[in-house]
Amino acid sequence: MASSCVRVVGSILGKCANCSAIISPVTLQLFRQVCMSSALHRKNLAAAGPEQFTAEFVKKQIDEFEVGKRHLANMMGEDPENFSQEDIDRSIAYLFPSGLFEKKARPLMKHPDEIFPKQRAVQWGADGRPFHFLFYTGKQSYYFLMHELYGKLLNVEKHQDRLRAKGLFSSDANSMSLGMSRWFTKEELEVSLVETISTHDLMERLLSMPYCSLEQQFILQYRRQLEAQSMHQIVQPLQQDEKGVAYSSAEGLRKTSRSSVVLRDCGSGRVTVNGQDCHHYFSVLQDREQLMFPLQFMGVLGRFDLKCTVSGGGRSSQAGALRLAISRALLSFLSEKEGEAMRQAGLLTPDPRVRERKKPGQEGARRKYTWKKR
Amino acid sequence: MDTHVLKMAASVSGLLKPWTSRVVLVRWSRYNPYYLEPEVRKEAYNRPETELSPEDQEERQLKTLRPIKAATSGVTSSVFDDPVISKFINMMMRQGKKVLAREIMLQTLENIKKKQVERYHKATGGQKEEIECNPYEIFHQALENCKPVVGLASIQKGGKSYQVPIPLTDNRRRFLAMKWMITECKENKHRRTLMYEKLSQELLAAFQKEGNVIKKKHELHKMAEANRAYAHYRWW
Repeated sequence: MASSCVRVVGSILGKCANCSAIISPVTLQLFRQVCMSSALHRKNLAAAGPEQFTAEFVKKQIDEFEVGKRHLANMMGEDPENFSQEDIDRSIAYLFPSGLFEKKARPLMKHPDEIFPKQRAVQWGADGRPFHFLFYTGKQSYYFLMHELYGKLLNVEKHQDRLRAKGLFSSDANSMSLGMSRWFTKEELEVSLVETISTHDLMERLLSMPYCSLEQQFILQYRRQLEAQSMHQIVQPLQQDEKGVAYSSAEGLRKTSRSSVVLRDCGSGRVTVNGQDCHHYFSVLQDREQLMFPLQFMGVLGRFDLKCTVSGGGRSSQAGALRLAISRALLSFLSEKEGEAMRQAGLLTPDPRVRERKKPGQEGARRKYTWKKR
Repeated sequence: MDTHVLKMAASVSGLLKPWTSRVVLVRWSRYNPYYLEPEVRKEAYNRPETELSPEDQEERQLKTLRPIKAATSGVTSSVFDDPVISKFINMMMRQGKKVLAREIMLQTLENIKKKQVERYHKATGGQKEEIECNPYEIFHQALENCKPVVGLASIQKGGKSYQVPIPLTDNRRRFLAMKWMITECKENKHRRTLMYEKLSQELLAAFQKEGNVIKKKHELHKMAEANRAYAHYRWW
């Protein structure tokens, strides 16, 4: 579906420059594609397996994409040379606005390599002999990976035996530190090998040997680097008002409540919510505890002055929204380590829990109607 | 969640067949399973690197890499916040009236403190040290005394169902103790006694290892002992 969208969009943009006022070839193309698709439906599509695209077809699509990209840049009045994928997405969203909820159903224009699944080129030469020595196993890349891995295992073992013979073997020689990376998931490995696989744990055996750092580069090829979550935090800038008092503001949300907080570093502990005193607005102790939670966690209870505005939702969700806003505003006064501690305490994550909808055929979200035998 | 809705819609449209619910996964969360639980207590972040065992260090590193869930609204890092007490309040709560449940709990603790302090002042010098005045301590100890050690499960074998003694997890034991305490105080009381009054009486009795909840625990243990012969019917 997405591929046909791209084809349509690409072909429209491709034809645009050649024919400014000619509509019929474009519509003819559309009609032809529509006719072709209904003809195809008569065949048994399920038996054919996933759709195969030839290399020349994909190449043609790539050319069309490049040309279409340049036309799009011209249309938007931007530089065709430096038109990035984000610009493409922005322009398509502008030219073809869509209110569809399913993001994958919206018009998209991406490089054909991302859209068409990776195919394997023809595996055998003109004489019919396959290139790869493991072709007849059926899963040549997978078994080749196993073969290589076993070869490296033997290599490491031989190295260890040599050291043992010389008496230099030490079992706590540095194993690799794999802290900041994770293994490819099965899906990622399938994508990189262009084959379907089942689970294996030969890698673990390689890792269990103390001298596995010999094959470090090979192992790291199959691991994906993880980045520390703390780098995703957005810290609000610290501002100064006329009297030289530092302040920062932030927003928070929880369910349907939206709040915004201004945190001033004056030294009193006054809290104002929507113009009223916080004891007046939040009569329940639990809500006031939630407001104080981030300040108490960092031990800066009496230092800041809070000016909060909140709207929407109920009592508890307003308190939650304010708590998130206060934590975010507090980040600009704290060091990175303290910010990381706040994140690990769960103060900086917006709570995704919302009210579950009622389903048809049931009385509520979960409650079913009384079951009657007859 | 979308697939569940679609399944519902698809099955409702089949009008000729009587509609039955399909068994889809019931417990799911708005969070991706990748998210970790938050750690709210301040002391956990003040421990230096040297004090940690290798598992703790690995966990610490894992926490820097993974996203963390938001802390719930009943939880704070304050010293007055007790997870056991919060759980008890939630179990006492009915129709979502958290305010009322919390009031009852606070009144219970106050009542316990009052009674213990009265007893403390009336007691002679030697007995004064034995009287526990901290209501949190009394609550924890009473709950400990109410926790059953083994539970019973109904297992069907050869057409007949037997009550087989099984080991219980910690969470299950705590849950049973709290549930018994709450049901006992709701049902077996005089119409005019208030909940907090009855609850404080039961807690103090449980602290002394007397009272109806302790009796219930002992009865369960006796049943388990009586059905000891069937213990081998358990296959897990």
